Amino acid sequence: MIDYLITILTLVGIVAILGLALNLQWGLCGMVNFGMAGFFALGAYTAALIALAGAGTLAATLAAALVCAMACGFVAMISLRLSEEYLAILTLGFGEVIRLFVLNEDWLTQGSLGLPGIPRPFWGWVSEKTYEVWFLGLLITVVLVLFIALEVLLRSPFGRAIRAVREDDIVATTLGKNVVMLRVKAFALGGAIIGVAGAFHAYYLTYIDPSQFSAVITAYVFMAVIAGGRGSNRGLLLGAATIMVFIEGTRFLKDLFNVMDATQLAAIRLILIGLGLILFLIYRPQGFLAEYRLKSSVAVQKSASFLRRARLRTSEPKPH
Amino acid sequence: MTAQVVLNGFVTGMVVAMPAVALTLIYGILKFPNFAIGAMLTAGAYLALALNVYLSLPVLYAAAIGALLFAGIAVGIDQAVFRQLRERSAITLLVASMGVSFVLENIARFIFGNGARSFELPLARPKVVLGLRINSEQMVTAAAVIVAMTAVYVVLRHTPLGRAMRAVSDNPSLAAARGIDRERIVRWTWVIAGILTAVAGVLAGMDRAIDPLLGWNYIVTVFAASILGGLGNPVGAVVGALTVGIVEESSTLVLPPNYRQVVSFCVIALLLLLRPYGLAGAQRIKR
Repeated sequence: MIDYLITILTLVGIVAILGLALNLQWGLCGMVNFGMAGFFALGAYTAALIALAGAGTLAATLAAALVCAMACGFVAMISLRLSEEYLAILTLGFGEVIRLFVLNEDWLTQGSLGLPGIPRPFWGWVSEKTYEVWFLGLLITVVLVLFIALEVLLRSPFGRAIRAVREDDIVATTLGKNVVMLRVKAFALGGAIIGVAGAFHAYYLTYIDPSQFSAVITAYVFMAVIAGGRGSNRGLLLGAATIMVFIEGTRFLKDLFNVMDATQLAAIRLILIGLGLILFLIYRPQGFLAEYRLKSSVAVQKSASFLRRARLRTSEPKPH
Repeated sequence: MTAQVVLNGFVTGMVVAMPAVALTLIYGILKFPNFAIGAMLTAGAYLALALNVYLSLPVLYAAAIGALLFAGIAVGIDQAVFRQLRERSAITLLVASMGVSFVLENIARFIFGNGARSFELPLARPKVVLGLRINSEQMVTAAAVIVAMTAVYVVLRHTPLGRAMRAVSDNPSLAAARGIDRERIVRWTWVIAGILTAVAGVLAGMDRAIDPLLGWNYIVTVFAASILGGLGNPVGAVVGALTVGIVEESSTLVLPPNYRQVVSFCVIALLLLLRPYGLAGAQRIKR
């Protein structure tokens, strides 16, 4: 049971990293990324190949981040002059390209056979029995570091600027922001984070093959971000935990209902994910938790009390 | 050899033209690229398969009845999902369409499983005309697509409905001011889109086998075709589809056949870099 809990938490951690990336790209910058699964695969394969070549997992993780950042930056560059829908189409297409590449370039990726025996970080430093716990600890540390870094970024001038671009890029341009560079930077940064998630996926499973990176991953991550509240990193952690516990939890249902086989159960789960996405968008678009907004409480109180006094003095009816 | 490749590409392009026109019509009216177009193709194919296998209807009738049923389903999906999100951003609709895509694809998977299925078709020997091999599926495809495309063209050009659709697509507020009921136009657009995707699903299923990823494997190609024609332009989408079909098929002479979608992606990327409003010319582009 405790092993099962560790597995679920590890999966939550990886989806949370992906979610943080999507929250940066889409939540904060308004640049939708439908190629999530493809970039995730790119990160996983880059990390796996470099780690297998014996370069060490730190170098492999950094390489995965770099390659994914470059890929995301490249896709963002292509769609610079166009509206967001085109970026969505391009990311979807690019994701498919990566999937097909991984599937067909046997000399590099061994195609559908997959890559076995991927080295793990700090393997051998602790006993094999407790390794999973240590790995989870490492992963949680990475999630927390990224979370804090992104929260700082969100409140930094860069974070405010990219949110301004999301709300209205013309106003942002008028204010002297380089919208083009901001978009590419934000998207590439998100890409780097996806690369890290991919690397951890590869280390955790020690075996990767193309079937692990279907479009389902993209749906999970969108579901986590939308459920958590677009733009809110705290909400996202909650969303990622909810969705992965739901997905893993429903595996038990198979034992309860003998009528369904594994394929049908997987299908039901994905139908529920799809319905969940739609229902959240219709009925609770803000998700569990709202986005952080800069509020000047002092200024708000002052103006409120000023208005109240002004109203008392003139004793006019409320202007509503 | 080259002529054969062009012919095959042309027929592939014809299959792609149907969902590409559906995609572009929906984009014109509702202003979002519908990612569920692939899953709609899949669902249409399975619906016809169900009629073909369980009610043992001939494929032709199964396809026709399936297409009409699916038109109703498409309107139903719009009412249940997209209507609730009408005033929201294109990206919200896009994400919702991904949700729809998952639901449709997995309903098919739930009922029929992951395995590949095929229609019960009589086997026929390919005909040889002027040294080109043409099989009966290709002839059926050509006939069906020409009929469907002509019908759509006539509806769009020469009926009050088509005029109203073009008006809403060009300028929704002006169309509303002239008393055009947008919701009615939206419903008819989904009817046309439903029929086109369902028939395309059957044609694709005749060409390859039917599996839950049938439509997904066409999605990049369909988007390439619509963008090539300029999103929102139905005639452009047909031309775009034929072009993409021939380019994809020709690429198999030098690249592995699995890389067709990669070729389509390159078409999209190059086009967006060089001529972002499509080959056909003037289209509204934001930014």
